[in-house]
Amino acid sequence: MDGFAFDLLLRWTHFIAGIIWVGHNYSSVIQRPSWRPLTGADLGNDQSARFQALLNREHGFFRWASVVAWSAGTLMLWRRGSLPGALALDGALAPIGVGMYIGTLMMANVWLVLWPHQQKVLGLKPATLEERLRCSRITHLSSRTNTMLSVPLLFFMAAGAHGGMLVR
Amino acid sequence: MGHPYDTAAGTVLLGLLLTGALAALVRLLA
Repeated sequence: MDGFAFDLLLRWTHFIAGIIWVGHNYSSVIQRPSWRPLTGADLGNDQSARFQALLNREHGFFRWASVVAWSAGTLMLWRRGSLPGALALDGALAPIGVGMYIGTLMMANVWLVLWPHQQKVLGLKPATLEERLRCSRITHLSSRTNTMLSVPLLFFMAAGAHGGMLVR
Repeated sequence: MGHPYDTAAGTVLLGLLLTGALAALVRLLA
């Protein structure tokens, strides 16, 4: 496979993994546009082993999609020799550099903030009812932070592909 | 008053504001 074909493959992978990942955030906003605190009754119905396995699978898919999307994006920049310039927000690489920093922050949010709390909310890790309800507020804020960050993320991905049109 | 993230509109509005602020910064500094 030549370099151009591999770059195309990476870009395609980046889009698909990104849609799986951020699509989950958008789906959550559409299902629950406004915050309504959970109650014990809300959490009581999802304890069957089958439902737990479904939740685990779904969460795993989008969590690992974040790693695939981030890795494909970083590898694309590295292969082009653009990674140092993007990291330094240098000239025409500044827009995609901003996108990369936002994407990195979002992946860290998924793994370090959302996941540890979501495990308790979903019942994948043992926790008291009070603790699960407390964690559901944190997962809401964490998920919405990524939804909010996806707006500039997609803008800077698009801007970066158009030759850094923001830069004079 | 609740958190801006507590509504879909608040979340999107914050995203748009951040996009504008970052785009202006890139235009000024990069």
